[in-house]
Amino acid sequence: MTIKKIQGCIGCGTCVQTCPTDVIRQDPETDKAFIKYSADCQMCHLCRLYCPEDAITINAEKSIPVIISWG
Amino acid sequence: MTLAGGAIGFAGLTAAGFGPGNAFAGSTTANLPEINPDKLSAKTIETEVLVVGSGIAGVFAAVKAHDAGAKVLIVSKGRPGASGLTPFARGIFAYDPSTAKMSIDEYVASVSHSALGTNNPIFTRQMAKHSLERVKELKSWGFFDSNLFAESFEKPISERNIPVIERVMLTQLVKEKGKIAGAAGFSFEDGTVYFLKAKSVVLCTGAGGFKPSGFPVCELTHDGSIMAYRIGAKITGKEWNDGHIGNMDRPASVYDQWKREIERKPTVNKVDIRHDLGVGQNYLAYTKGPQHEKPSRPMAKDAITEGGPYRPSGFEKFAPPPSEGYGKKGDHTPPGMGGIPSGGASAGMSIHKSEGLVPYNEKGASNILGLYAAGDALGSHMSGGIYTQMGSSLVGSAVQGGISGAAAAAYIKGKTIAAISDVQQRQIRKKILAPLNRKRGYSPAWVTQTLQGIMIPNFVLYIKKESIMNAALAYVEELRDHHAPMLRAADLHELRLAHETANMIINAEMKLRSSIMRKESRCSHFRLDYPTMDTKNWNAWINIYKGSDGSMKLEKQPFNSWPA
Ligand SMILES: Cc1cc2nc3c(=O)[nH]c(=O)nc-3n(C[C@H](O)[C@H](O)[C@H](O)COP(=O)(O)OP(=O)(O)OC[C@H]3O[C@@H](n4cnc5c(N)ncnc54)[C@H](O)[C@@H]3O)c2cc1C
Repeated sequence: MTIKKIQGCIGCGTCVQTCPTDVIRQDPETDKAFIKYSADCQMCHLCRLYCPEDAITINAEKSIPVIISWG
Repeated sequence: MTLAGGAIGFAGLTAAGFGPGNAFAGSTTANLPEINPDKLSAKTIETEVLVVGSGIAGVFAAVKAHDAGAKVLIVSKGRPGASGLTPFARGIFAYDPSTAKMSIDEYVASVSHSALGTNNPIFTRQMAKHSLERVKELKSWGFFDSNLFAESFEKPISERNIPVIERVMLTQLVKEKGKIAGAAGFSFEDGTVYFLKAKSVVLCTGAGGFKPSGFPVCELTHDGSIMAYRIGAKITGKEWNDGHIGNMDRPASVYDQWKREIERKPTVNKVDIRHDLGVGQNYLAYTKGPQHEKPSRPMAKDAITEGGPYRPSGFEKFAPPPSEGYGKKGDHTPPGMGGIPSGGASAGMSIHKSEGLVPYNEKGASNILGLYAAGDALGSHMSGGIYTQMGSSLVGSAVQGGISGAAAAAYIKGKTIAAISDVQQRQIRKKILAPLNRKRGYSPAWVTQTLQGIMIPNFVLYIKKESIMNAALAYVEELRDHHAPMLRAADLHELRLAHETANMIINAEMKLRSSIMRKESRCSHFRLDYPTMDTKNWNAWINIYKGSDGSMKLEKQPFNSWPA
């Protein structure tokens, strides 16, 4: 899973704006951030680093196959 | 160990999607339409200088264009300080004449020696000459006080009241009567279609890749270069390869690889000329086979191997990383490395500053009047076909951004904003939203994975030979001709992916064609069938442009010359 969970979100929207790959969106009903497009997470951690509440937990594994040059 | 998709090369095309239905969990979407494209609103904004991108080049371009009297607008796919490659860099070079142990002339000569003549000395000198001023300016913005750059980038922008539109992907440049007239794109947040009319456009759109894993190329897919190519600009430097490697244990985990850098504040690098991060490690893996254990000594040392990429005299040995910013003494692991080496972390990206729009002068002008580029979007060959100075990528973007911004502000004097007709606006809107309007089509995630399967294997992208590159080109042409026109998007996120995927396909074609054309090996371009350097025929850069029949054309431009 990439971004694993968002817990303790205050709905400030910072993570949505700082994610370069548009993984996180704000739920219009709850006004909280949620992981919408996890396959596109690059695990750069910018969302977590910018989150004022330290609400984001990220895994080291990608949710889709990873293509590398040799294996 | 994670089962990475290294096997998804040609042999694995079925797995990657060319074969019978194979949707990896989460990788392809159901493609059900979620929005009505006809209902998306449109916005037209006029400005004098449009700066595209908000990395370090974009910030300096906007600041210097504003300070030279122009009305400026920044439009970015992300936000200042948190988009592009900029947020991940920590070493910034400054040539300080009061402490440097060599003159600027000696410095430029030494870079050219390491780059085996592939650098453009005019841009190498320009970077060194202006570096200290840019570093001082960054210091005054608070750049060195935090590991996160949003605040320090925000400061000069808000002090000048420069408007910034975030989370908008520009997909088209507009040309009227041979001159740039603006750009268009869409917000993937609310779907607004933007028409940005401008007297001049400065592309600070960075570089790009094939959405690889293990290096934060993130949202970059060479959008600026590909948009410019489509309206007639020339593009260069596609045969070079950035040789960053990842960790096979967790090949996608950018943060695990880079946390030592990401968590520290930036520092200034001194003169320290290198010949780094080419394809030595790729050659080693190709000839000796992959390693499945952590090397006992710094792996970069192993990259030096017989018969592989030539290293110039004085650079035979891989130098340890600089001491600036590093905590532990004697820690010889280069930034972003460590663990079991896996390849292709930055696949699809060349050496910073050596790919992008062909510069027509030292100010980053292109062959289209009013269109400028800077930083990783400009093929200035500042560093050459290999990394030659730690920290020069960051400062090079700052320097070039500032210069092109000021040049754009000078260019617009006496110019008017060209009209973009309603018919043209309708056509552009149709093009932008086309993937949303397709009832049937291919998902961008699937096409991207297929492209990755074709391009990322070591024996295609890095350790090159003609037969394989021609085979890969046949697949890429298929994606270009048959799949790109049928890319389908269900929502705005997928619309963005569709445009990015189309750009990646063109980048793949550019990389293959220029790699086939360059029949020699030099710096980060390595051909098994032409393993040596050919200074008789190849003291030249390769420029790529769209021919009058729409096909991709290539030409040589001799080193140390401007395009004709
Ligand atoms: C992990 C890592 C470590 C690095 N370490 C160093 C280092 O220590 N020292 C060093 O000198 N360099 C380093 N570099 C390289 C350096 O970061 C880059 O060369 C430099 O930051 C590029 O700056 P730029 O402004 O030209 O482009 P970028 O920072 O890449 O900015 C591109 C901008 O364009 C925007 N954009 C792209 N496409 C579009 C579009 N279609 N529409 C609208 N906007 C768009 C992006 O969102 C972004 O804002 C490192 C890079 C990485 C990834």
